[in-house]
Amino acid sequence: MIEVKNLVRTFNSGDRTIKPVNDVSFELEQGTLASIVGKSGSGKSTLLSLLGALDKPTSGDVVVNGVSLAGMPDAKLTEYRRRDIGFVFQQFNLIPNLSAVDNVMLPMEFAGIRKAVRLQRAKDLLVQVQLDPEKHDRRTNRLSGGEQQRVAIARALANEPQLILADEPTGNLDEQTGDHIIELLSSLSRNHNTTILVVTHDRALANKTDRRFRLQQGKLTEEPASRPVVAASA
Amino acid sequence: MSVLARSVGNAFRNKVRTAAVVAVLAVAIGLALAMLVANQAVGAKVQELNASVGTVLTVNPAGGQGFEGGGEPLTAEQAATAAAVPNVSAVVGTQSLRLRNATEAAAQAAAGTAGGPGGGQGGPGGQSSATLTTSLTAAVDAGTLGGRNQAANGTTGTAGTTPPARSLPITATGIGAEVDTTGKALAITEGTGLGDYTAESTSALLGTTLAEKNSLTVGSTFTINDQAYTVAGLFDAGTAFGNNAVYVTLPTAQTLAGLPGELSSMIVTVDSLENVASTKTALEGALGPDNADVTQGQNLETALGSLGSVKNISLIAFIAALGTAGLIILLIMVMLVRERRREIGVLKAIGAPNRTIGLQFVLEALVLAALGSAAGAAIASFASGGIASALISTNSTSTTAAPTTGRGAAMAGAAGGAGLPGGGAGFPGGQGGPFGGAAQLVTSVTASASPGVIAAGIGAVFGVAIIGALVPALLTARIRPIEVLRGE
Repeated sequence: MIEVKNLVRTFNSGDRTIKPVNDVSFELEQGTLASIVGKSGSGKSTLLSLLGALDKPTSGDVVVNGVSLAGMPDAKLTEYRRRDIGFVFQQFNLIPNLSAVDNVMLPMEFAGIRKAVRLQRAKDLLVQVQLDPEKHDRRTNRLSGGEQQRVAIARALANEPQLILADEPTGNLDEQTGDHIIELLSSLSRNHNTTILVVTHDRALANKTDRRFRLQQGKLTEEPASRPVVAASA
Repeated sequence: MSVLARSVGNAFRNKVRTAAVVAVLAVAIGLALAMLVANQAVGAKVQELNASVGTVLTVNPAGGQGFEGGGEPLTAEQAATAAAVPNVSAVVGTQSLRLRNATEAAAQAAAGTAGGPGGGQGGPGGQSSATLTTSLTAAVDAGTLGGRNQAANGTTGTAGTTPPARSLPITATGIGAEVDTTGKALAITEGTGLGDYTAESTSALLGTTLAEKNSLTVGSTFTINDQAYTVAGLFDAGTAFGNNAVYVTLPTAQTLAGLPGELSSMIVTVDSLENVASTKTALEGALGPDNADVTQGQNLETALGSLGSVKNISLIAFIAALGTAGLIILLIMVMLVRERRREIGVLKAIGAPNRTIGLQFVLEALVLAALGSAAGAAIASFASGGIASALISTNSTSTTAAPTTGRGAAMAGAAGGAGLPGGGAGFPGGQGGPFGGAAQLVTSVTASASPGVIAAGIGAVFGVAIIGALVPALLTARIRPIEVLRGE
């Protein structure tokens, strides 16, 4: 379970103080597929970086399964990202000179998983995200955008995290490929009982998630659900 | 894929740039290794020279100036006086003899050729040395220089008669200890030494080539002035000329020369190199400047000083080249870190610890260093000889150009081994000034790229590479993963 409590993040820009995240609170049950919509510059990515421990809040706290991130040292935050978080970026952010399999194995390598185990798991994940097996050993800079995003999702799942944070995952993809990616995320949240929070400005994409939030001028509001919320399983 | 494999892969991401970096590194590392090899070679040479003749002083009778030498011979009493000088650890007297093959001498006499090589003159320092007959045949031909000297000093012989082929006289030296004329321990290859070198004996030591020429082995006999001598041992002086020689005990040589108590020269060993200069002055004072010339073995002081400069220069150049290699690695890695900020951010975002990322960059730097070292070692193996030669030749040029002063200059060349046993050098002035022999020794420095030295050099390169890569590796720790999302 993810609990966000009164989260605030401010930046100073000259004489002005900007609050892209202003007293945001919400809870997500395990296995929920949620989305945050908002205009560009509304603070969506800032909120995502706070949830993913990439940035530290000015005030407030994020509690993951009862563990507070506030005041956690950097090394512990790194461990948290490695163990509990999976990131999917708009630009994919794969390592271009590594193969798809090697990219997926990276988080497992950092977690100290044995090579044979991580190789098998990486291949399994790439199969799950429906990447053509012939392309498993291909360098990622030779894959299409949709294929790269599939690899990125497989990488995000590598260490079986509790939370996947996806920042505009379909932003660089055509509509059809984007739909495939959303279907993939949706099925993963159900099959793996993984909480997935998608940041997007694509209303159609947001409508396919269990819960929808709107971020406007730093304030978060929840919109009515368009599909039944998946209860956390044991 | 392990961190190492990833680092190797990263090193080849941009092959053109990697090739350029490796080429620049190879030059710097090659220069560093070449300088290290030169440094080691010169260091070894300095050590060798110090160990051999660096602490040896040679005392000759004053006034020895080639054929026109004069003055009084050295005596056993003067040897005792020299031994009493502070810091003198040993004094060995020598008596030089000149041996002519009895048959050849008779044939030349019959042909009317007067005078032997050098006209019987021209021992060390221009002293006369007794010429005796022997059953031995010289192992070395006179050569052009020998023939020229004999023609100049002897006569042309009977008109219309072809002069007989000449051979060098055989140098026989009476010595008071088991050392050669430079004070260096005799390298006896077969048999034994002469035992008590202060007593008369009918045993002798022969140079290997002389023994071979005369088909003599340990236990064989030969004659000097019809007196039979037994070969007690064979020695190897390292050169054909040096091995065309005989050593007998000092009293034996004095008796053969008919000059009991007289010495041709004294080899004085000083207890340490630091005391050589002061002991030289003390010896000159004790023996009297009008009685004896004291010269430092090979006049190596200047040569050693120059070699020391070469050693220092090569060490500084090694450090500078090594530092350059480190700087190249540092700048390249800083550039790579800046170029890959986003990638570093991604790695951190997905949970890579700072140490893993830092290690990846250090390993990448080591891969570049390894490639540069391999190419640099190849460059060094070809260039080190030339670089060392260039450094040494410059050094020896300045050494030989040094002014030669003092009497007995001709002998000074002989004192280091270029005189008595040396081919063409037995005649006064045969080797030129006092620096002739030293220059030869100095220029004989061999710069070989030994695996040990190369390994040590490459170890230093890797050390510098690690230091050079640590700064950029630490820079990666300052990159925050949030920077990845900011670019989104």
